[in-house]
Amino acid sequence: MMLALLLVAAQVGTDPRLDRLDPDTRAQVTTVLDSARHVGLPTEPLIQRALEGATKAAPGPRIVAAVRRLSADLGVARTALGTEASAPELEAGVAALRAGAPSQVLASLRSVRRHPLTMALSLLADLVASGVPADSAAAAVLALAPKARDADLVEFRRAVERDIALGAPPGAATSVRVNAGADIQSAGSTPGAQPRPRRP
Amino acid sequence: MGIERVESSDAELVRRVRAGDIGAYGALVSRYRDRLGRYARHMLGDREDAEEALQDSFVRAHRSLARCDDPARFGAWLYGILVNRCRTAGARAARRRRMFVRDASALQGASRADQSQRLEWTDAVDRALARLAPEYREAFLLKHVEDLEYEEIAGLTGAGVSALKMRVKRAREQLQRYLREAEHV
Amino acid sequence: MFDQEDDVVQRVIQQLRRPVGIDPALDARVMQAIATPRPPARGLWPWLAAAAVLVSLIIWRPWSRSSEAEAATFQFVLVAPQANSVSLVGDFNDWDPKRSPMRTANGIWATVVQLAPGRYRYAFLVNGAEWRADPSAPTIPAPDDEFGKPSSVVTVGGTGS
Repeated sequence: MMLALLLVAAQVGTDPRLDRLDPDTRAQVTTVLDSARHVGLPTEPLIQRALEGATKAAPGPRIVAAVRRLSADLGVARTALGTEASAPELEAGVAALRAGAPSQVLASLRSVRRHPLTMALSLLADLVASGVPADSAAAAVLALAPKARDADLVEFRRAVERDIALGAPPGAATSVRVNAGADIQSAGSTPGAQPRPRRP
Repeated sequence: MGIERVESSDAELVRRVRAGDIGAYGALVSRYRDRLGRYARHMLGDREDAEEALQDSFVRAHRSLARCDDPARFGAWLYGILVNRCRTAGARAARRRRMFVRDASALQGASRADQSQRLEWTDAVDRALARLAPEYREAFLLKHVEDLEYEEIAGLTGAGVSALKMRVKRAREQLQRYLREAEHV
Repeated sequence: MFDQEDDVVQRVIQQLRRPVGIDPALDARVMQAIATPRPPARGLWPWLAAAAVLVSLIIWRPWSRSSEAEAATFQFVLVAPQANSVSLVGDFNDWDPKRSPMRTANGIWATVVQLAPGRYRYAFLVNGAEWRADPSAPTIPAPDDEFGKPSSVVTVGGTGS
């Protein structure tokens, strides 16, 4: 078994950066890389995940498990985002899926926004990481996706973060932000939206 | 509804959830909610915040269940998710500068004199806990209230064992000092 | 010998170990949440909301470079007055502490990195041993952090729609 792995490694050529891993871990990670490459998935994110584990002094099996998980998740992201999705888009897609966005949301994003989708997907993942419920985050991102530039998505996330820091419940902070504009459009006044009161 | 003679292990319940038995997850929730709820309540200082963090952690754990590498240690893995979630919530709450709210349940079953004494002590403890730096409070609660081993705490907080021991030591010193101060007010 | 400190601390521990009343309905809420994926919130006017958000957005000086719209040079900052060394490590430099050592003035550590579009996990390594996330960036929540050490995310976009 070891011999077969060594032969495979010799054929494809292991990335020298992986020398930081112990031989057994390196061999297993290389197997995952080869499988990923074989189905056309990017290997750089997998290599970075292994290197992250090495620097963080994680045990070999944990590194291998993390790399395997990422490879599987990249595959799922690619099914939702399409084969033309770039490595950064796939990585952002993985983050969004892990945050709880259904793959349908990723597919919908793809249909309303031109590539690259990296920022929109990241926004989704980062909102959920801040405590916004996944469905509110998905609704907000899908609402913004057709028209907002990447720079606007960045500003949106910062504004939501600030509202949450000031005490707004995360779900309310998101929907109030998206809806605030509707008030301006109809009333012609400056935004003064109140966060919803905490549940009793 | 009979009494189960053999209690399923965490690993067994996780296996069943992964096989599609969602009810088995309910058993895991029952098993851990009080302990984890206690940690969240003391870490965050507020029952509502604690319940929100707890609920969120259970939902997140279910969603990520495929990534629990060692189902036999589901509890520790779940603690990691909750500890992490409390850090995010704690940072938000600190900015709001909450006052503690006494739990209504603390009032049950005590005489008036007992009540006021016990409530004062309960409040004093809560206030002293709140004054600790978050990482000290976290380490102290995990070690002395939740009875985790230092190695386990290191695994789920990412801090080293000696750093954790130092934090617990400081937490004990500070709690002692704050409670002394409270006595002299 | 009567140790007063231990006595106080023991009483605190005893107090804290007492059961805390967690709402019995919590279990049902958890099961509800995992059993029925909720549909996205309705009632938004997507095109109106999006167009209006663009109008209402306040352009303000970025205080954190936790995301940026274009590939560019980024400054990473950590306040760590007690540290002897701080390194920036992440997906953009192979997690190699030797690649982006940070420099300090008055306990504020900083370095500058060129980033192409992408999403990058990163963290600060203090004194070669202690891991810190970036306080002004989104943190990767457990269990997605994978290795139990605090980490952050920075996303660099392209020109978008």
